Amino acid sequence: MLRYLIRRLLWACVLFIAVTFVTYAIFFLVPANPARLAAGQSATPERVEEVKHFLGLDRPFYVQYAKFLKRLVIEGSLGQSFVTRRSVNEEILRAAPITASLVFGAMIMVLSIAIPLGIFSALRPRSLLDRTAMIYVLIGISLPSFWIGLVLSYVVGYKLGWTPIAGYCEVFSVPEAAACGGLWDWAYHMILPCLTLAIVVAGTYVRFVRAEVMDTLSMDFVRTARAKGAPEHRVIRKHVLRNAMLPVVTMVGMDIGLLLGGAIFIEAVFGLPGLGGTALESIGRFDLPVLQGVVIFGAIAIIIFSLVVDILYAWIDPRIRLT
Amino acid sequence: MSEPLLDVRDLRTEFKTDDGIVKAVDGVSFKVEPGQVLGIVGESGSGKSVTCLTVMGLNDSKFATSTGEVLFRGEDLLKASSSRLRTIRGDEIAMIFQDPMTSLNPVHKIGRQLAEAVVLHNDVSNKQAYARALELLKAVGIPRAERRIDDYPHQFSGGMRQRVMIAMALINNPDLIIADEPTTALDVTTQAQILALLKRIQDDFGSAVIMITHDLGVVAETADDVIVMYAARIVERGPVRSIFNEPRHPYTWGLMGSLPRLDTDLERLYQIPGQPPSLLNPPSGCRFHPRCAFAMPICRQQDPRLMAVGSDTLHEQACHLDEATKAREAAKLVAMFTAGASSS
Amino acid sequence: MSTAANGNELLVVEDLKKHFPITRGIVFQKEIATVKAVDGVSFSLREGETLGIVGESGCGKSTLVRCILKLLEPSGGRILFQGRDITGLSRRDMRPLRRNMMMVFQDPYASLNARKRVGFIIGEALELHGIGTPAERKRRVQELLEVVGLNPEHYNRFPHEFSGGQRQRIGVARALAVNPKLIFCDEPVSALDVSVQAQILNLLKDLQKEFGLTYVFIAHDLNVVRHISDRVMVMYLGKSVELADRGELYAHPKHPYTGALLSAVPVPNPDVGRARKLVVLEGDVPNPINPPSACNFHPRCPRFQQGRCDVDTPPLAPIADDHLVACHYPLERWPMSIAEQPAAVQPVESAG
Repeated sequence: MLRYLIRRLLWACVLFIAVTFVTYAIFFLVPANPARLAAGQSATPERVEEVKHFLGLDRPFYVQYAKFLKRLVIEGSLGQSFVTRRSVNEEILRAAPITASLVFGAMIMVLSIAIPLGIFSALRPRSLLDRTAMIYVLIGISLPSFWIGLVLSYVVGYKLGWTPIAGYCEVFSVPEAAACGGLWDWAYHMILPCLTLAIVVAGTYVRFVRAEVMDTLSMDFVRTARAKGAPEHRVIRKHVLRNAMLPVVTMVGMDIGLLLGGAIFIEAVFGLPGLGGTALESIGRFDLPVLQGVVIFGAIAIIIFSLVVDILYAWIDPRIRLT
Repeated sequence: MSEPLLDVRDLRTEFKTDDGIVKAVDGVSFKVEPGQVLGIVGESGSGKSVTCLTVMGLNDSKFATSTGEVLFRGEDLLKASSSRLRTIRGDEIAMIFQDPMTSLNPVHKIGRQLAEAVVLHNDVSNKQAYARALELLKAVGIPRAERRIDDYPHQFSGGMRQRVMIAMALINNPDLIIADEPTTALDVTTQAQILALLKRIQDDFGSAVIMITHDLGVVAETADDVIVMYAARIVERGPVRSIFNEPRHPYTWGLMGSLPRLDTDLERLYQIPGQPPSLLNPPSGCRFHPRCAFAMPICRQQDPRLMAVGSDTLHEQACHLDEATKAREAAKLVAMFTAGASSS
Repeated sequence: MSTAANGNELLVVEDLKKHFPITRGIVFQKEIATVKAVDGVSFSLREGETLGIVGESGCGKSTLVRCILKLLEPSGGRILFQGRDITGLSRRDMRPLRRNMMMVFQDPYASLNARKRVGFIIGEALELHGIGTPAERKRRVQELLEVVGLNPEHYNRFPHEFSGGQRQRIGVARALAVNPKLIFCDEPVSALDVSVQAQILNLLKDLQKEFGLTYVFIAHDLNVVRHISDRVMVMYLGKSVELADRGELYAHPKHPYTGALLSAVPVPNPDVGRARKLVVLEGDVPNPINPPSACNFHPRCPRFQQGRCDVDTPPLAPIADDHLVACHYPLERWPMSIAEQPAAVQPVESAG
């Protein structure tokens, strides 16, 4: 097990370098002039040159990359924003919890709806419930997330007034000038964004769970359990579920990792200043360090979560021994 | 005369499929006495497995309908409630399946799976259930049972897994064990071990056994009585020696003739032409007639009924051929085998 | 007969080995153990003969065949095909030879590409070796369909439209397409019903007579092997333990394992079957990663003698004309006498 972990961590490092390198390289291929944007619209060419030198943008590519890596590994710092000159670490740490609460909140909603729905559909195939569920799935997968977000925001937030239209509230350390704050406000504002994300993601899960449960139901050991005289609810609970949920665990882990990288559309629609929103901003301003920071954070999240998922899977399924 | 343990009367099971209705079992009747071993022989599609799954009530009720009577100690299982069936299953009638690799739950320890069988039918504590599980594991010959009881199925070999399945079937002392091709997936030496084990268990516990198989050798060695099934029907039945020494149905002849044997030298095997019929649209009349070398016009029109062979009421077959031809063909077949036979 | 070539053998295999390494390590994989799947097998085969290879799961028979066909690279030993040493040949050099060595597989449902039409499946080898024009190839495929007993007009059908037995016939036609000299049959009838099994076995025998084919036939069913083979080799845990003419092997087996195999086969005769004495082997086949020392059958052998069988590996050596066995204490008579069988024997039922 330990060997496996060490090997995975080594690979994670390789992956990490690859990801950062590619992001850096792409940025260089884009015809843009961040120095000009940082200096401002009315800057003179000399001023732009100064800014360029100050930001270190006039050095060759590999030098910049090497400096970046050194700073990251030794100081643990992602640098400073070209635009605001604030530490990127700070920006990320401020934005990450917002995205995290969106993602985890949505996942909880998804799992509590999709799993039971998937199971019931599998147990009663072609029934009214099953067909309705499948239609819903089709809709959920097909509609773009921002469309769902906008519609919900309009109907539920604006027309019905049940929830806020958009915006975010801090839970802890509420700033003086904020319009809202505290746990209740925070939850209240997060309902619609989480729901939107949940609707988008749930579709896949319902289908997946349904397929897995149907598959497991046809396996020989389920027949053995029935032959022993086990009542159906026990067969489902003790024999079918644990086997059927194995792949779901993998999917959940991967999805969380992916989504933490930034659910850009939803954050944009609901004005949440999370990682997605931050990334969007930094793209527009060619703020490389911040963009790098978001990408790196996302990569780390995916790497960590896929590792967690692998370990969890091995723990749940005794057939897999990670040696 | 004592009541038979199991009395199946005119059992018919149909499945609704996308292509139509499949009559998987079409008028099957037989009896099993306490302590008897009944062998059901047939190839794929003969209905032998479905018959026994119907007896156990393990068919998916959404797609399967059964008519007829399945009398277990006088009680009709087809009419029993599902909770009554659940009480019987695993306790009074137990089943062993073909593939030991997939018949055990991969994520539960085998001790737990065995104990589950106990707990479902008896009001005992978990500890007692585990003790009973250990007892059975030893009885079926699992070495180092105290350690192995905490292992998972994938840590056992195929033969050991089948022993675990047998242990699970026996754990509540059932009166009837249904073994569906229990050794087909195993190596020949493992098969010998398992068959010897089943024989020993049958002697020790006195349970009746229904042995489903396509292997005539297994049937010859283990069964007291034999039923030969073809295309959802019984074509011949009787005591094992009658069937092997005086087979009376062309399909039985075909089966026996097409076996390569250790004890004789045959240049060419007798082959039954064609393949088993589809049960969606079975042939008219006698279902075997398209492949039968002795088919007559009547065979296409009229379905032969099971009739006694001569005066022996225990031996029955369903064929329109006259007695003389049947006797002659049977003698030919048996002679072919005993001629080159060496007793080994 | 010795296993050394004497000139007119089609295939000679000398001390063939296939070892699979088991590695451990974080970055650099270090070999800590080997699975000796095939551990020194030798035999020779003349044209027109059928060699049956029999053994239970894990004995290495499938791996052996794949090594001979060079689908796996052998770890040691030599393979001579038509007198030529093909052991070290590269994949490119092997290609023209492959049309002489074809294979029929076990699972008729998995061995045919479900998305290709039958005509393509059978004719693919012809195309790969550049034989004939497309029109000629089509004619040849239809010819083959007829030879194996299928309707040539079904050229354009898909595998799922055929039954198991018919699919196996397609597999045979595929193997025959390029007129190979040698055909390996890897358990070709195990997955089939008994009545269909007979059809395929008869077909294989007929084709052998008609086209002068040479077969290597692998099976675990001793009845089937006896029916179709001229000579039989018994394998256990990667080694060959006995090699003899068919009649000789089945009438006078010398290796205790062969004896156990033979006595374990159920006989479809109630009087004979129940009365015979059964040698029931205890335990399972051992783990090939850690095989027993010297003779790897010794832990289960009823003739085991301590100090010899677990110390000296018995070589495969002639015990009679054309009969080789790898045993220090081969069976003296068959059926085994009571004196030769210690506790491992259980009679099935006393005679009568």
